[in-house]
This record gives sequence, structure tokens and C-alpha cells, in this order.
Amino acid sequence: MSATRERIAKGSVSLLWALAGIALIAIMWELTKFVGTLIELPFNTSDQAMPHVWTMLSGFTVPEVRGSETTVFQAVVSAASYSFTLALGGFVIGVTVGLILAIVMQRFLFMERGLLPFVIASQTVPLIALAPLIVGIGNQISFGPVQWSTTYSVMFIAAYLAFFPLSIGALRGLHAPSPTSLELMRSYAASNNKVLWKLRFPSSIPYLVPALKVSAAASVVGTVVAEISTGVRGGIGRLMVEYARETTSQPAKVYVAVFGAIALGLVVAAVIAAVDVLLTRNLPKKGLT
Amino acid sequence: MTPTQLDSKNPGSALAISGLSKVFNVGNPNEVTALSDVHLDVHTGEFISLIGPSGCGKSTLLRVIGDLTAFDSGSVQVAGKSPEEARKERLYGIAFQQAALFDWRTVTRNIELPLELAGWQKSQRQERSAELLDMVQLSDFAHHRPWELSGGMQQRVAIARSLAVDPPLLLMDEPFGALDEMTRERMQNELLKIRMETGKTIVFVTHSIPEAVYLSDRVVVMSPRPGRITAEIEVNLGDRNEMTRESDHFFRCVTSVREALRVHDTSNSTSSSHRGEI
Repeated sequence: MSATRERIAKGSVSLLWALAGIALIAIMWELTKFVGTLIELPFNTSDQAMPHVWTMLSGFTVPEVRGSETTVFQAVVSAASYSFTLALGGFVIGVTVGLILAIVMQRFLFMERGLLPFVIASQTVPLIALAPLIVGIGNQISFGPVQWSTTYSVMFIAAYLAFFPLSIGALRGLHAPSPTSLELMRSYAASNNKVLWKLRFPSSIPYLVPALKVSAAASVVGTVVAEISTGVRGGIGRLMVEYARETTSQPAKVYVAVFGAIALGLVVAAVIAAVDVLLTRNLPKKGLT
Repeated sequence: MTPTQLDSKNPGSALAISGLSKVFNVGNPNEVTALSDVHLDVHTGEFISLIGPSGCGKSTLLRVIGDLTAFDSGSVQVAGKSPEEARKERLYGIAFQQAALFDWRTVTRNIELPLELAGWQKSQRQERSAELLDMVQLSDFAHHRPWELSGGMQQRVAIARSLAVDPPLLLMDEPFGALDEMTRERMQNELLKIRMETGKTIVFVTHSIPEAVYLSDRVVVMSPRPGRITAEIEVNLGDRNEMTRESDHFFRCVTSVREALRVHDTSNSTSSSHRGEI
């Protein structure tokens, strides 16, 4: 019980620090603008280029389009939650594929030798080049009545970025058990599956958790970039592009979309933190994370 | 040497090894003969120690018995079976220098691991682990995590785990090697107590002469390059008590083991094996 209380206390302290950090950034932003009115800075500090913090915040409440019922804030929230679904889909697919690859590569040395170079090479393909290709191929796919949708392409791209850190982290983790532990399992005449389930998988958790964090971030970035390059509507990526076009008339609007993207990242980070707590609850509290 | 022609069906034979050889890195420039023409017979209920300097093959010999390493020639029979059969039938329990407990399992669940793998029912597992925890006097720590225990306690859990499926043979590879001297002596007494209670056959690898003498019925002395058995010294300490470690008999045994080790340490000659008896 006291451990839980300690954890909550620790959590609120770090939340305070995070808020203080945000406040500090806002103050520095305004300070820079103020200094810009006094002396010439090497960059533009006008309200056009760097809107006031309060203008950005008020941007939340203005209607998205003149005369419309929905505010910019509502538009950003719905776009961010739409992107979140896509990112989550990509993340789940990526993690599943990454785990399967890691398990196969761990079990069969020839698979590790044969597959690993391709896994690494897959990440050297620029996303911008890949996105139209995936959309193009995807559009030709149909399973009977089920038609490929461009949103699947977005998930696919997110998964494409997410699987890599996970498969590498998981592979390292599955190789982590000490020779002594493995000999112990051998002495118990344990099957490969039992060794995987009872030893390798639990041993890989300290490696898996940071890999999950990187994968989650990758799936969010992948989603936003894929939304932009595939032109899928409704997500935060597309919203940012649209709002950026309106900079001249409403300079604060694009920042609202950026805040939305940041909030999306934070939500994903929070989900992973919860997974972390769940997975490492039985391990010594030092960890590699 | 004891006769190598031992009837494998003989119920008194826990372990029969003859003409065992093992070479690492065959054909490579770093080829090492780890074991050369090893003969060893251990009868049921006997406690033997393998002692010798680093590289004498004592751990390799233990690992061959446990089918953790393959051997090249000769024959090894564990309770009349090949090491592989013996391992698959879970006829031995093993403990290493590292306790190798699983951090994510409680003490109880660590002890239950071999039982789970042997397909025991949950209620039976719990009964057995409670019994074993009682034996190693760790009942109060059943639901602790291994990393919350001291090194000696961890090693006691590892020993309990090695006894879990009640195998007739215990293989121990320097299980007390990483413990401080005080803990070590206490653990030795506990191991002797467990042995009295269970009647296990024990093969114990160590490089501590007093430890080997104190624990064993017979000390098997090995020498390196190539790894082979150079002497076997019978120790008949009888019931151990606080005075045992200070008795003349104990010191005479220690001295003869030390001498047996020294003979082959200074001279690299391939002198024939001898058998010391006290």
C-alpha cells in the first residue's frame, strides 16, 4: 500500500516538473518575442511567425470555419483520436509482426542470418518513396467484397515503422537468458516452446519495454507522415497541412494542430507506461529502461 | 581404480563411467582434451566430490553426466541409462554456482518450475514446494522474490528446486563457490542434513579441499591437460559435528587430498593413477 502511495507521490512530483517545463517554454517564447521588439534577432519574431501563447490558446475556441459550429479544438481532438486509432492499429500489427519475426529468428539461426539483413534494410527505404507505392499496390487488392482502403495503407506504413525496433529489441531479449538458465531448462527436459514461454519471454521484458516505447513513437510518426503523403483525410497529419496553409490569416491555428499531435504522442506514451508497469511489476526495480 | 566392468543393471550403481574422453575444438589449433580415459563408479547414496585445479575437466565431467555436453568416447551410465535418457526421465537435479533463480517468479514458484515442466498438478506442486521450503528452512520467504534474498538463501532455494522432482541423483557445480566462508560452512551442514534425510547420490564439484573432505564419502582428485582422475581418497568422517573440522582425521584427509593435488601440479609427468585410502 505504501508503495502505491509512494508511486502516486512520485508521479505528482514529476507531473509538476512537466508543467513547470511547459510554463518555462511558454515564458521563453514570450521573452524571445519581447527581445525581438527591442533588438534585431536573426529570425522573425512577428505575431505572424511566432503568435503569442494566448493567441494559440484562444485558437482552441475559435470556430474551425467561419460560421461553423465546431471549434478548432473540437476539430483537433477528433483528428487526433482518428489518428490515434490508425496509429494503434499500426502499432498492434507492427508489434505482432515484430514479435513473430523475433521468435522465428531466435529459434532458427538460419532465419536470423537470412532475415535480419532484410529487416534492417527495410528501414533504409525512405517513407516518402514507400507511401505512394503501398497505396498503389493496396488499391489493387480486394478480398471479395472487402475493398482495400487507404486507411489500411496508413496503418501498414505505421506498422512498417513500428515492427523494426520491436523485432530487434525482442530478438536481443530472447537471447538474454544466461547459459546457466538455459542449461537448467535443458536439465528439466523442457521443450523449445516451454523454454520460450517460461524463460525467454519473461527474460526479454527488460528489452521489450524500451522497444515498445520506440515502436509506439514510430507508429505515431508513421501515421502522421503517412496521412500527409497518402492524403488520407480526418487525421492530425492532414489537419496540420490544411492549417499550415491558413497561416497568413490565422497563424495560431497550425500550432493548435501541433499541440494535438503532441497530445497524441503523450497519450501513446501513457499507454506504454501503463504496459511497462504491468509487465515489470514482478521484476527488481532497477531495470534497463 | 575400481573395476570398470560394472553391471549396469546393478541397482547399487548410481553412476558408471568408463573410458570417457572429451575433446573440445577437434581439429582446431586450440584443441583441448578436457577429459581423457576417465573411469568412475558411484554407488547409490554415495557423496563424491570432484576436485582439481581450473581446467581439470571436473565441470565438464559433471556436465557430461547431466547430458549438458556431449562426449566423444567411452561409456556413461546414469542409473543404468544413457545420460540423455536420464535427463529426459528427470533422474537428476542440478545446482550451479549461480543460483539462476527466475526473478519474475516468487521463491515458491521457482521451486515449482521443474514440477510444472514435469506436468504436476497445481495442488501437488504446492504441497511439494511447501515441503521443500520447510526442508531448507525458508517457509517464511515463500512469497518473496529471489532478488530480495541473500546469496545463501538464494542458493538454498536453488537446492530445493534441484530436489523438487525427487531425483535420485544430485549434480552440484560449485554451488557454494560464491558464498562467504561463514555462510558456506552453514550451507555445507545443511546439505549434509538434506543428504541424510533424502539419501540422494551426490556428485559435487568444488575447488575447496576442506569442503570436499567435509562433505564427501570419497574425494576424486583430477588433474588438467589432459583432464583425468589421478587419485581417489576415501573419507570416513562418520557423523559430522562442530568438532569434525578440527579433528586429526579431518586434517589427515585434507593433507592427503592436498598432496594428491600437488603431485600432479608440479610434475607434468603422466604418472599412473593411485588410490589413497585412510
